[in-house]
Amino acid sequence: MADKAIERDTIEIEVKAHNIYKSLTEGKNIHNVPFRTIKDVFMWAVCLGVQRGKRRSLTSKKTTIFRWPQLDSQIDIPLLKAIAIVESRDINILLNRTDILNIVEEYANGGIYELRDSLLTESGQPLWNLVDILSPQSEK
Amino acid sequence: MIFERIALVNFRQYFDRQRLEFAKDRQRKVTVIHGVNGAGKTSLLRAINWCLYGSEYIDKVGELISKEAISRVEVSESVTMSVELSFLHDGDRYIVKRSLRGIKMIDANVQSDLPDEFTMVHMHEDGQSEQIKNPIGTINTILPSNIRSYFLFDGEQIDEFAKPESSKQVKHAIYHVFRLETLDNARKSLEAVATDYRRELKDISSGELGRIADEEQKARTELERSENEQQEAQEEKESVRRKMKDIEEQLGKMKSTNELQDRHDRIIKDTKQRRKELEDVTSLIRDISTCTYFSIIPDTVKNALLFLETKREKGGIPANIKQQFVRDLINQKQCICGRPLTENCTEYIQLLSLINATPLDSLEDDVLTLSATLRMFEERANNQSTHLGRQMKRRIELLNLILDLDTEADDVRYRLKASPLEEVSGLEKQRQLLQADMDNYTMTLGALNERIEKLNKYLVQLGKELLQAQKNDRKQKLLTTKLNLAQQGADAIKGDYQGHSNIIRQEVETKTKEIFRRLSWKDGYFQSIKIDKDFSLEIIDQYGKQARPDLSTGERQILSLSFITAMACIREEEAPLIIDTPFGYLSTEHRSNVTKYLPDLCDQLVLLVTDEELHSQARANLEPHIGNEYRLEFDKKTNYTTIIEC
Repeated sequence: MADKAIERDTIEIEVKAHNIYKSLTEGKNIHNVPFRTIKDVFMWAVCLGVQRGKRRSLTSKKTTIFRWPQLDSQIDIPLLKAIAIVESRDINILLNRTDILNIVEEYANGGIYELRDSLLTESGQPLWNLVDILSPQSEK
Repeated sequence: MIFERIALVNFRQYFDRQRLEFAKDRQRKVTVIHGVNGAGKTSLLRAINWCLYGSEYIDKVGELISKEAISRVEVSESVTMSVELSFLHDGDRYIVKRSLRGIKMIDANVQSDLPDEFTMVHMHEDGQSEQIKNPIGTINTILPSNIRSYFLFDGEQIDEFAKPESSKQVKHAIYHVFRLETLDNARKSLEAVATDYRRELKDISSGELGRIADEEQKARTELERSENEQQEAQEEKESVRRKMKDIEEQLGKMKSTNELQDRHDRIIKDTKQRRKELEDVTSLIRDISTCTYFSIIPDTVKNALLFLETKREKGGIPANIKQQFVRDLINQKQCICGRPLTENCTEYIQLLSLINATPLDSLEDDVLTLSATLRMFEERANNQSTHLGRQMKRRIELLNLILDLDTEADDVRYRLKASPLEEVSGLEKQRQLLQADMDNYTMTLGALNERIEKLNKYLVQLGKELLQAQKNDRKQKLLTTKLNLAQQGADAIKGDYQGHSNIIRQEVETKTKEIFRRLSWKDGYFQSIKIDKDFSLEIIDQYGKQARPDLSTGERQILSLSFITAMACIREEEAPLIIDTPFGYLSTEHRSNVTKYLPDLCDQLVLLVTDEELHSQARANLEPHIGNEYRLEFDKKTNYTTIIEC
């Protein structure tokens, strides 16, 4: 069993991806900069990485973007645990936060580029591109 | 360093404890030790070397132990050998002692598994002593091991400095005796440090600070200009708005147009309200869409739930039943229906297996909580989807409403513009022009706001880069200073080192020439001695030719001895000159000259001589300088040497 006292509580990304996180959170125009927090960008990157099967190891220099307590206990943490369980097929991973983080950070590392391509590279404003991912049939 | 006494215990021929005192008076500084071949002269020289520098110069340490001492102990018994030397240095008295213990083996050889033991004691004037913690380093400071061979040597083998290939040895001798290598090492160290700094400086990008400062200046100028433009545009827009308001008031006051103008005002007010509502709806859509990421991976949530359910089923614990509940049943030995649970009954065994197969409580709690939370995700996703759909629908309604209101406003404006009254149509035209200006300013202000926002972000980034560049710049300046200091130090030492080595070389050359003239009987034949810049020791004859190839062994010894004593004279630190068989190859005249002049050329002289070496004139020359004289008596019966004072 993992020692809870030494569990990691920092959420890390590759430094080279930090600009994408910033470009989606820093600005006043909500059409172009839809996200309020870096945490939401990370969660979106994780989910998009899982949805599109983009898991990528963090090989270059890393940076911390937020901490575990900032995650929502009713949505974010159960969702990250669900991803880790499906990926590891091991129930004991629930007792090891570091292992959970290692898995979801790798999905975020793959998913952030998917998010960038879908929101910033595609034509249209990022907010409505985001809505499109949620409900492709909805009209702008 | 001036030797006082030596004591040998079981060292080669010297069985048991043997000792002798070295002469050290200024007038009587010569110690003569007589001994036939094999009596122990060379062993005495070795004993001094071993005592001071250890086994570095001795091949087989085991063979140093007295055979007589070995013969007197039984197999497996230990035998100890030691040499103790006391000497004066810079007015202080020191005693050094090196000892070695070995075990006698069956084959009568001695085996020593332990290294020798070396101690050094500093004797104070009050009789107190102090053990020196770093004896090897201290000895090497007093008389470095790399120059020992210039002070403690075999007289028959000292002609090496006069051989044709001697320049390396001559240079080596001068550099080590006068510690010039210390200067050279310092120079090399500083050069290495300077090279490191140079490499580090190269890694720090130069000119970065200037470039960033320029960029920052440009960005600030651009920001100032944009902010001025923004202010002007706002003022212009405000002015246009006021003019429009005036026109609208004028139109509102006219009887023919007041109804249309009122309608227009209502439409504008309504449009504003709808736009505000649209902003709120858009913000709501933003909040929903940025937080509804979980809805794009419903399969993952379902798979996780399925996995958890399967695990729980395999674990055999029905949902909502906790481990504690099962434990309570086992402890009470009674089912909830009241039936007793005996230890061998099927139900009891099944309950036990449930406990054993169940995950830990904390994990079980986690599984239960997680399953319950995940089960709500589908409903949550549906709710969010419905909510988002509703807001998107409302957004489209609002957009259509605003479009209708715009069309209606256009219609009113068209009717005003088309009024038969020239004043009304003129005012409306003017208002439309102002509206165009207003739109233009709104667009300009939007672009300016965006540019100002970008510039502010860029300036924040430049600020960070500037801080880093300033840090690098400070480091660069510091490194440059350090580099300059290191290089200047190295250059200064190099210059000083070259100048110093030239001075010493010339001093040694002059002194060697002076001594050689005294020692050689062919004084007139040899015109000069030179140590050139390549450190080659050369002797010039009366024909101006290099005479070294023609020198006899004895003459080469005289030349080498002159060189060694010249170094000893110039070197400012006291040191003994101990020569084993000094006169072996020397003719009578050379012997006479050496014994006549050598005592005055050194601080202390120890001569290990055979009987044949020192007699008649040579003996007479040395007589006034002899302080102590010993004979090494080798007993053929006992096979060991005894030191006897003459």
